[in-house]
Amino acid sequence: MKKIKRILIANRGEIAVRIMKTARKMGIKTIAIKTAVEPSAMYLSYADIVYDNTEDESEIPVFLNIDRIIEIAKKTDADAIHPGYGFLAENAYFADKCLDNGIIFIGPSPDSIYKIGNKTIARKIALANKIPMAMGSQDNIANEEEAVKIAEKIGYPVIIKAASGGGGRGMRIVRNPEDMEKLFIIASREAEKAFNDPSVFIEKYIENPKHIEFQILGDKKGNIIHLGERECSIQRKHQKLLEEAPSCALDEKLREEMGMMAVKLASAAGYYSAGTVEFLLDSDRNFYFMEMNTRIQVEHPVTEEITGIDLIEQQIRIAAGEELKIKQSDVKINGWAIECRINAEDVQAGFAPDPGKIEKLSLPDEDYIRVDTGVTEGSVIVPSYDSMIAKLIVKGHDRRDALKKCKLALDKVWIKGVKTTLPFFRMLVRHPKFIDGSFTTSFIDELNQYYYNSEYEEMIAAWLATKLFIEENLSEDSIKLDFSESREINPWLLNKRLSQF
Amino acid sequence: MTTGKPKINKLYAISSQNSKYVFSLPLKNVIKIGKRKYEIKLKHDEKFGTYILWKNRKYPVEVVRSRQNKYEILFNDISYTFTIETPFGYKRLKVLSKQKGKKEKEFIKAPMPGKIVDVLVREGSQVLTGEPVAVLEAMKMQNEIQSPVSGTVIKVSARPNTNVVKDDILVEIKVEA
Repeated sequence: MKKIKRILIANRGEIAVRIMKTARKMGIKTIAIKTAVEPSAMYLSYADIVYDNTEDESEIPVFLNIDRIIEIAKKTDADAIHPGYGFLAENAYFADKCLDNGIIFIGPSPDSIYKIGNKTIARKIALANKIPMAMGSQDNIANEEEAVKIAEKIGYPVIIKAASGGGGRGMRIVRNPEDMEKLFIIASREAEKAFNDPSVFIEKYIENPKHIEFQILGDKKGNIIHLGERECSIQRKHQKLLEEAPSCALDEKLREEMGMMAVKLASAAGYYSAGTVEFLLDSDRNFYFMEMNTRIQVEHPVTEEITGIDLIEQQIRIAAGEELKIKQSDVKINGWAIECRINAEDVQAGFAPDPGKIEKLSLPDEDYIRVDTGVTEGSVIVPSYDSMIAKLIVKGHDRRDALKKCKLALDKVWIKGVKTTLPFFRMLVRHPKFIDGSFTTSFIDELNQYYYNSEYEEMIAAWLATKLFIEENLSEDSIKLDFSESREINPWLLNKRLSQF
Repeated sequence: MTTGKPKINKLYAISSQNSKYVFSLPLKNVIKIGKRKYEIKLKHDEKFGTYILWKNRKYPVEVVRSRQNKYEILFNDISYTFTIETPFGYKRLKVLSKQKGKKEKEFIKAPMPGKIVDVLVREGSQVLTGEPVAVLEAMKMQNEIQSPVSGTVIKVSARPNTNVVKDDILVEIKVEA
């Protein structure tokens, strides 16, 4: 068992800070990479050693540059590399290169990254282990007759999808066998028109599912456990916004069943380290394996909060060859956790990114609140990286308590300089469908309004606009006009207007 | 003509969704909700920047933009746009909008199928004729979708990174002079 004394973090932002916090707790030194894009980023101040990569002229950003990272690891005498999430975290070749160079990769084996990352192979493993999945046609469907036959086998409802493209083109949901032939022809024709290729395939259609994922932890000796589920149905275009643990859709029996399947899959793939098995849960409580993520995930804190287990610490121990000290029976779920992703996005403009400088930042400090962040006041949210400002995590003793605390916590976050997803969460925690737990992955799409404001908020804003108007135009002393750039008040027009009264 | 006090005794703040708020002059630092009155203060400090103090709580606030009598206010993380009118100005506005044949709403539609790569306006944005409201990528080119009218955006249906087909409604605009 090789002891890890120095970890190079091949990442930035909040996850880099997160990893460094645990490493520090374990007495392990950390190395961070400084880039020209954000030379004064917060994560740099947490590292023991900062490698200055600001002169790097390569076209490839350093966090995607395998050779560069290995080079830096060697230069700084790193024993191990933690890839975080995104970037090269699920790049089997990178994991391999680390091993080739005698560097421990804090994650799974290159082989399992490759196998599980390949959707076809992952599905084959699931199939061989009788893990429930959404069935699909093996190849493209030749004609209407075949379509009917395959749909029979899969079981209605099914969805016809174009092989060569997406965006809803060439896509049709078929609920009744008698509509199959007709819709197949329509879908094919549409696919041909849109993509010059009429080829379509068929998959089981899971109606308004919930997205439920299971956290897996495995060691290099073959011990694998699950740490319960996370409910991640609040997503927009497959981007998660809010996650909670556990899920109100699962009871103890279903949790055990799904958890067992998750462990079975990870086991069959020879998996170790932290990983996540994703399922879709339909309204009849049937679950279907979708895919497995071979990395630590953004939303890992909610699992940590209810199990009391530090996942980063476990990853490091496992990577060093330690045997997992936690048994499945040791895993207890305590309380309820909710995480809100506070991103620099304009909810009123359909969540369009709103990059910019964070002028004022005040984050809450209560015992029921945990904030994972990689920014401080003065940080600039850059378009080239993600728009995350902070993860606001609250813990309650049950869901109702967690929701109440979430409401309070959201009003304690103060951010000026960029627009954020805060108004969306303020609406969410008050929305009946979210409160009663009946929401599914279609929740956001079905919303009429993405944000919340109480009745008097608009009135206050109106009062302020009026006050400004008065100060600028109707002041008793003189007509005060502000000629700063953003204001375009025409003094002649004003004079003319006032003279009418 | 330009001397003395203007004889205005109230002002109207009209939101982009056409809600009308009436404020008597001189403007008091008080907001009335039902029968109760609450004090409101506009303040500034080092830690929080500019804020509104209301019912013992601080709320972040910023004036994003102001153009003549139109103001875009960012209050508690939400943007609002108001037009401030005197009673006379408001009356005149209503008369003008009742003019026969005047189109009140403009729907900006996708001229061809493609992918929305950028949405340049939000609810409440003021646009002028010719101003781009979105960028549509189609046939390997990026096309600016321009507004044919001047007015206020009342609804944004276009979302970045989504595909649209011809005639999909992207933006709805309330036409103003």
